[in-house]
Amino acid sequence: MAQQIVLGQYVPGNSPLHRLDPRTKLIAAILLMVLILTSFSVPSLAVLGIFVLVLILLSQIKVRLIIRTVRPILFLLLFAFLFNLFSGSGEVLFSFSFITVRVDGLINAVIILFRIIMLVLATSILITLTTTPILVADAIESLLSPLKKVRFPVHEIAMMMSIALRFVPTLLDEMQKIMKAQSSRGADYDTGSPIRRARGFVSILVPLFVSAFRRADDLATAMESRCYRGGKGRTRLKVMKFSYRDVVFSLFMLAITAAVYTLPLVFPSV
Amino acid sequence: MKTFSEAETALHFDGVLLRNVSYTYDIGLPQETSALADIDLDIKAGQHIAVLGHNGSGKSTLAHIINALLLPQSGKMVFFGCEPSDEESIWEIRRRSGLVLQNPDNQIIGTTLEEDVAFGPENLGVPLPELRHRVDASLEKVGLLELAQRPPHTLSGGQKQKLAIAGILAMEPICIILDEATAMLDPASRADFMNLVMQLSKERNLTVINITHNMEEALLADYIYVVYNSRIALHGTPADVFEQAAKIRQMGLDVPVHIEIAQKIADYTSMPLAKTEAFTCTGAAQAVHDRLDTFFTVPQQYAPSANNSDHGTGVQISELSAPSLNISDHEAEVRGTEQSVPSANNSDYGKEVRGTELSAPSTDISDYGTEVRGTELEFPHHSRLSYDGRKVLVEVKGLSYTYNPDLEQCVKALTDLDIDIYEGELLGLAGHSGSGKSTFVQHLNGLIRPEPGVVSVMGLDVHDKKNIRKVREHLGLLFQYPEQQLFEETVGADIAFGPKQMGLAPEIIEQRVKEAAELTGLDPKLLDRSPFDLSGGQMRRVATAGILAMNPDILILDEPTAGLDPAGRDELMSYFLRLQKKGQTIILITHDMDQLADIADRILILKDGRKFALGTPAEVFGDDEQIRLAGLEMPHTKVFMEEMQSLTPGISADIFSPDNAAKALIYEYRTRRQTWRSK
Repeated sequence: MAQQIVLGQYVPGNSPLHRLDPRTKLIAAILLMVLILTSFSVPSLAVLGIFVLVLILLSQIKVRLIIRTVRPILFLLLFAFLFNLFSGSGEVLFSFSFITVRVDGLINAVIILFRIIMLVLATSILITLTTTPILVADAIESLLSPLKKVRFPVHEIAMMMSIALRFVPTLLDEMQKIMKAQSSRGADYDTGSPIRRARGFVSILVPLFVSAFRRADDLATAMESRCYRGGKGRTRLKVMKFSYRDVVFSLFMLAITAAVYTLPLVFPSV
Repeated sequence: MKTFSEAETALHFDGVLLRNVSYTYDIGLPQETSALADIDLDIKAGQHIAVLGHNGSGKSTLAHIINALLLPQSGKMVFFGCEPSDEESIWEIRRRSGLVLQNPDNQIIGTTLEEDVAFGPENLGVPLPELRHRVDASLEKVGLLELAQRPPHTLSGGQKQKLAIAGILAMEPICIILDEATAMLDPASRADFMNLVMQLSKERNLTVINITHNMEEALLADYIYVVYNSRIALHGTPADVFEQAAKIRQMGLDVPVHIEIAQKIADYTSMPLAKTEAFTCTGAAQAVHDRLDTFFTVPQQYAPSANNSDHGTGVQISELSAPSLNISDHEAEVRGTEQSVPSANNSDYGKEVRGTELSAPSTDISDYGTEVRGTELEFPHHSRLSYDGRKVLVEVKGLSYTYNPDLEQCVKALTDLDIDIYEGELLGLAGHSGSGKSTFVQHLNGLIRPEPGVVSVMGLDVHDKKNIRKVREHLGLLFQYPEQQLFEETVGADIAFGPKQMGLAPEIIEQRVKEAAELTGLDPKLLDRSPFDLSGGQMRRVATAGILAMNPDILILDEPTAGLDPAGRDELMSYFLRLQKKGQTIILITHDMDQLADIADRILILKDGRKFALGTPAEVFGDDEQIRLAGLEMPHTKVFMEEMQSLTPGISADIFSPDNAAKALIYEYRTRRQTWRSK
């Protein structure tokens, strides 16, 4: 199961995208999300689509790994697609008993599908796949550092995030192991009444929590033993440096933003 | 009473010094427990120290004190001239001492290897480019530099522990503390890890403090401290400490096999061992050879006297007296060689012993098994298992399995495996970590569906989803660290979970819970307690009882004794052996080759998902080279018997428990002497 979920699953590499400053990537990802969510015209979306394709090429990550990031949301995609397909007004494309598909609906459905996929691809290609969680945390810490002035615990929050990400695969493996163990004691998580199933989950959650606490205890010991005492005076192995690459990438992002917002004005009809 | 000068010297002591250190958890609360009481330690720089002790003896607390994670509540700890008196000195002690914990997963902080190694020096404020240099050098030292960018959860257990060492090296320590760091590793990774530690300590004059249950590791140390019920009960060089075999036993620990056998023979012949005589395996063999040779050559002169039992292995000399009694249940005793699986190629040692049973009167040494350790262990526990006409309970044919077949990082966990498992046998399952042992047993109860291949359990095809429920009732699978799966509010309810899921009647469930608790030696009073109030060992018994309460026809045990101390291990095993005696079919996975060779009827060794060997212990442990290739180690008794073989050619080395070895040796030397005399 841990292998199926590409959450915090960094793919090692040395591509131009890997080498970008994580802060650049983080801001770019947020900007891209905004762009995708606020553009409705086909030319804008086409530009964004091409841009995401370029990013995929730049990342030098195998297409199969990238496609896998979409897998967990397949159900959501299907739901969104069907929901849009059967709604809308306009010319009827075809109808069969109670099902009626209209042109508008079809276009909307395709566009929504496209946008959700783009959202997932853009964030995973810019962040999860090419940036280690610790760097993401570092980037957040650095971007939020002005908040330190008002005593906001920026470092602590960033550290908590990166530890949480580090333990996601470990805890998923653990959950799977506990499920198997309880299954071999006769627990059944697929059939039976809802109450029985809910009780079944108690048999997973209690051991999982107990184990998480034990791990947390060990981890705290390990961190203290390695002289962790908060963010003060810490140095970093990976220093974030805003280099010429980031300048180029940022200019490019600006160009894309401009294009996305001006294209609908040029082609108002589509 | 400390004088001023004593305090002064403590600060100049080059090493770790503890004086009257005590530590108690939860002071003033009902669950108050004393972890350490009046501990004195003197560890010199560059020394390799082993700390032994039963579970809950306070060993880990000791590690935390030396690492300045805990401060002594009374007494003092001085770490290389530094006392943890203020914040700065505490950090200094933590910087210069590194701690490796038991569970490899829980101590990794970074999301890639290099980030994890960098964590320590980053905290210390080491600037670039030195930081980068330290990280790379440390990773290279432990052989993980190539994997620097990988996420840590993709490493094996042995690699993770090496990563922990790298993380410590990057802080430039003078002392490494291992808190049962090898407990979760397979034999090959354990040896590999200890080699690394030994090499580092030599190269960098590192002080090593190894807290362990593994007696072979303890032999690597320069000095041993034994902690028993929060106090130092014994200390000395390994030779000194293991000389006190009986005491070590009482404290719930093991004695290295060759020392144990030498002690038994020394007691039997009343010729005490000289200091360090039996320290090495070769030395012990020579000592045994000399004694038995002398004893059976001039029996009168060395007639045992009763006041010589100081070095006791628990065997009372008086009971053994002169060599004139009869062998009582020898049949059961010399079973190491007696297996007769179809196609077994046994030596005829067993039959020889049988022969003498009827004729020649001989020494009564039958009490070894039960005397040792003062518990009711019944090693060796059963007579030969005949496979003629035995029912096949599990049939496995052409089983293969691949994890993530559609991915590039797909792992071939099993390849083309065939095996029949017979009713009433104890099948041992061994192999390096990742060899496919767990994947294999998960196929047996349908947690993983065979594809391709056939698995049938008591005639039920596991591939058929309808059969799975039935199969799981026939087949009880006890997972690794099963105490981590407890969840109910009371012990009784947790044990009852399985039977309840089977839909049994309440009276029957109650009966089953009672029986299972009894089988695992649980006090009935505990049934109403919360399982989370119990000690680790007791929790494991509760989890075991939960499986037994389902009354499975086949019991699968996945490393049931991992992490327990020797006494806890032997006790739990004795329950399983009692079940087996009653005809229970058992599949046992373990990394403990001594245990496996001693009790298994047959052993299946997996290597990289393939059947590597299948046969009796004598057959499987035939070739050292092969066993090492499979990432395992030879049983220590066999290694010792091979030494004996080189001294007295012709004796069988296929013996797998110290008791049987002692008996067999006494028998062999006596017979040889008799034949010689009659000539």
